[in-house]
Amino acid sequence: MRHYELMVILDPDLEERTVAPSLEKFLNVVRKGGGSVEKVDIWGRRKLAYEIKKKTEGIYAVVDLSTEPDVAKELDRQLNLNESVLRTKMIRPDAR
Amino acid sequence: MAKPPVRKPKKKQNPLKAAGVERVDYKDVSVLRKFISDRGKIRARRVTGVSVQQQREIAKAVKNAREMALLPYSSSAR
Repeated sequence: MRHYELMVILDPDLEERTVAPSLEKFLNVVRKGGGSVEKVDIWGRRKLAYEIKKKTEGIYAVVDLSTEPDVAKELDRQLNLNESVLRTKMIRPDAR
Repeated sequence: MAKPPVRKPKKKQNPLKAAGVERVDYKDVSVLRKFISDRGKIRARRVTGVSVQQQREIAKAVKNAREMALLPYSSSAR
């Protein structure tokens, strides 16, 4: 088990209140894989420093989770397949 | 022959880190802002006055922040 920190930028056209449930859906992979989601922090709408997919805004969310490496990889893959996800970053804060 | 006067560069007071956070985080934009110029470039170590290790951490954090559109790659100020 490893601790990961995941940051996602979601499409700003998404309704604010649908953000949490749709994130949960993604994170189900982690729970099924025997991992745990420790914290979900939704920053909300934020201006992007530059345009991504012609969007000037994004909905930011930061998730703390611990899981197996394979599951983390799979989660990242599924996020990147989704149209409403502009960008993701998975980081291991304690590996440095 | 008069020797040219040896210039002792002023030692930077404190590396700004000592009075701030340990461990640089790419999410901490307000801290990282101090280490980039107004054009968005990473400031050199001789300007920031931090240690080699800290500068490396800062550079990495800035680059991560850029990837997530928290900081600009370049800003066309000027």
